[in-house]
Amino acid sequence: MNSKKKFICLEAAMATIVMILLFIMVKEQMGKQSYKISVILQDSDSSQWSALRYGLKMAAKDSGTEVFFASIGNELTVDEQINIIKYEIDNGADAIIVQPVSDINTEVELKKLEKKVPVMLVESTASKDRNASILPTTEADNYAMGRSLAEEILKDYNGNIQGKKLGIITDNSSSEAITNRIRGFKDILENTDAKICWTIFGSSGKSGKSFLKNKPSVDLVIALDNASLVNAAEDSALNKLHGALVYGIGHSTEAVYYLDTGDIECLVVPDEFNIGYKSLTEVVESLEYYFYKMKDMTLYYTILRNEELFSEKNQEIIFTMSQM
Amino acid sequence: MKIKYSKSMKKFKPRGIHSTIMFAFSAVSAFIMLILGVVLYMRFSSISRQEIIQNTQKLMEETGEHLEDYLLNMRQVSDTVYYNVIKENDFSDNDNLIHQEMKLIYEANKNNLRSIAIYNNYGSLMAAEPVALQKEDPDITHQNWFTRAMDEMENMHFSTPHIQNLFSDAARRYYWVISLSRAVEFSDSGVPMSGVLLVDMDYSGISRMMQKINNQNNGQYYYLCDSTGQIIYHMKQVQISNGISSENNSEIANYRDGVYHEYFKGEHRKLLIKTISYTGWKLVGVIPYSSFTHGMFNMRYFIMVIIILMAMMLAVIHRFISDKISSPILKLNASVMEYEAGEKPEIYIGGSQEIRHLGYSIQRSYEQIDLLMKEIVMEQNERRKSELDALQSQINPHFLYNALDSIVWMVEGERNDDAVFMISELAKLFRISLSKGRTIISLQDELQHAKSYMNIQKIRYKNCFSIDFDIDSFIYSYCSVKLILQPILENAINYGINGMDDCGEITVIGRKEDGKIILSVVDNGIGIPEDEVNFILTDSDRVHKHGSGVGLVNVNNRIQILFGKDYGITIESELDEGTTVSVCIPAVPYTEENRKILEKGHIKYE
Repeated sequence: MNSKKKFICLEAAMATIVMILLFIMVKEQMGKQSYKISVILQDSDSSQWSALRYGLKMAAKDSGTEVFFASIGNELTVDEQINIIKYEIDNGADAIIVQPVSDINTEVELKKLEKKVPVMLVESTASKDRNASILPTTEADNYAMGRSLAEEILKDYNGNIQGKKLGIITDNSSSEAITNRIRGFKDILENTDAKICWTIFGSSGKSGKSFLKNKPSVDLVIALDNASLVNAAEDSALNKLHGALVYGIGHSTEAVYYLDTGDIECLVVPDEFNIGYKSLTEVVESLEYYFYKMKDMTLYYTILRNEELFSEKNQEIIFTMSQM
Repeated sequence: MKIKYSKSMKKFKPRGIHSTIMFAFSAVSAFIMLILGVVLYMRFSSISRQEIIQNTQKLMEETGEHLEDYLLNMRQVSDTVYYNVIKENDFSDNDNLIHQEMKLIYEANKNNLRSIAIYNNYGSLMAAEPVALQKEDPDITHQNWFTRAMDEMENMHFSTPHIQNLFSDAARRYYWVISLSRAVEFSDSGVPMSGVLLVDMDYSGISRMMQKINNQNNGQYYYLCDSTGQIIYHMKQVQISNGISSENNSEIANYRDGVYHEYFKGEHRKLLIKTISYTGWKLVGVIPYSSFTHGMFNMRYFIMVIIILMAMMLAVIHRFISDKISSPILKLNASVMEYEAGEKPEIYIGGSQEIRHLGYSIQRSYEQIDLLMKEIVMEQNERRKSELDALQSQINPHFLYNALDSIVWMVEGERNDDAVFMISELAKLFRISLSKGRTIISLQDELQHAKSYMNIQKIRYKNCFSIDFDIDSFIYSYCSVKLILQPILENAINYGINGMDDCGEITVIGRKEDGKIILSVVDNGIGIPEDEVNFILTDSDRVHKHGSGVGLVNVNNRIQILFGKDYGITIESELDEGTTVSVCIPAVPYTEENRKILEKGHIKYE
């Protein structure tokens, strides 16, 4: 290669480097790509999701992503939910965090969408069986919460609840989360003489209160989801439960309020902040690393009692619930 | 081994002047640019770092002032309630007035206040604004703000943020407040009592202030903690309590106001601390070292782009300059190479003064070389011719015929002794003439040859001239060119003596003077006209007319070829007086070594 060719090659190489550097500069100038993550929760504006939303927002802030909450009502069908997800994807969502509607087709439909964008489930798996779930899920240990709630009841009665009558209320018995909570609860009470008089499913619906009114009186009302718990506590505050004590699982300030006023005896609070925080962090990981496979995450929960409600640690839980 | 050596030699083949200049310029420029780039970057980053710290300090000063104003305002609220409302009124007598005035104060500050409440020392609520339903059993006396106020009655106490656990809220919400509590004295139904005045500040006021400055996305952040290091505000408060993030807040209690460096969780960072007056709270600015370079990646790239662009430009300039410098040298080199290759172009003359001079010098050198080459070729030709002539002289048939004729004549006249002498001299003559084919012989031999020749000639010319040899004996051992005297003697006989009547005299003188041997043949013959003397050594044809064929020109050439132009023959002549022909040769001792060197013709004596 003669000198002139060498010189031209050298100049061309330097020009190429300059172009690359300018490209990087412009790219940096335009800023790091900010991922848009859509969150689809049922009854999305409910205060029960305050901690979860706060966790999602904090994770988004820490990871430099944007999080959008789709405004959705209470009772969604699979098709409606899938349509909403599709709409969000069409609107530029890079990933979806969704509380799945409990239906046999949900998982199949969501799996199809997962080919387009990462999909993370929260609160419950889409399939009935947690072990058979094929989509990553971040949720509290529902089975353990059910067990803990039963254990707290036993503690209050020194392990003897012979002859006590129990009524169980839940919002949607078909979800994996509720199923596991019931299973955990029943597993503990299995060997006791307590009697479960009735179980109401879908109490958070329009007719939730009327169900309780017309049911035979019981000693203990067990609410396995936040909405059912608040409904039961409201009834208790209005003395509609004929002296029945309320135990339940919830994660809203309303639930805490009724615990504070003594209308709820014991409140099991799933760590909603971390469900939100960790689910979004996991999604961001999968967006940033192509080969990253999102994992299932099971988070812990806290048992709140009136006496220790305002302890330092519990105040932080209430703090997350109080965030708008 | 040889192949390896030659390969390595090829590898280290010297670069051309163009590449060398280009490489040298580029290396120096690259080095300077690199140094410049690094220095610029370091300087810039240092200034930028200082600027970030200064800006952070400024921001912290402003925020600190806002916080102090805010807290001062709260203290003023507390003071106003205490000194203007509580102390001035009796709770039983002026309950309404107390409420009204408290309401006024609350309304004036409600953006930052959650509630104002007065409790007696048993924890019973005396008054509160806004009026709200107290919880059934809030256990006031065990709440932190109450115990602190009662323990240190002389001070006002700021709590860390906590949930207000005093009143029932119809909205079923919980409020995050910072409590300002102080012990107070008041009168109820004329009875002096002690209690605690509580001003609950809305945490969102401080939270907003802190959020406003925590809007940078370069990793830099601010947090607020109390004097013991307990966090009051941190943008990752929940993450820290959940163990997702961490903060070195417990160490802050040990720091005073200033700028500190710390290494926390694998990260170097700068801590800027400002203490908020009265409360002892510390506003902490955290600048991770990574944030110093956050905005500087672009600057790095920018400097790199500038350096590369400069390098590109300099490369062009260097090429131009090196072209300018090397082009005349390369052209000169090319013309020299062409010359060496056998072509004969004009040597390039151009470029700078020095290169022009070089061109001229080379051209002159080549011209001189050409001239010398021509001279050498001519000399060689002359030499060959002279040697041929000398060889011819050795076997001059006419001379031999005359000599043999004289011998025959002597034998017939029964002059046997003379014949023997003649034959013997002839034998000596031929022996020395041959001299084993040597060109250089000793002066002794040369003189012997001259004597033998003259002896033969004397007999032939019937002693019509006399010959005398006046030789310094020590010169015999010096070198001489063979047969240089014989042609001169022949000329002396032919042109000088011949025709004279018995009075011809020829003298051969041999001397050494100033490192030279001078052999002179002096005759008292008819002499040579002056105009002819000048032609004898230059016009060989003229001389050859009468001679034996071996003229003085030949002798002179042979001497000068061997010893240089300083040596040779000189002729001095005067008509009717005689002629002196002098041979001048260098005094070189006759040794075998000197003889060989001289015969190769390598030495010339200037």
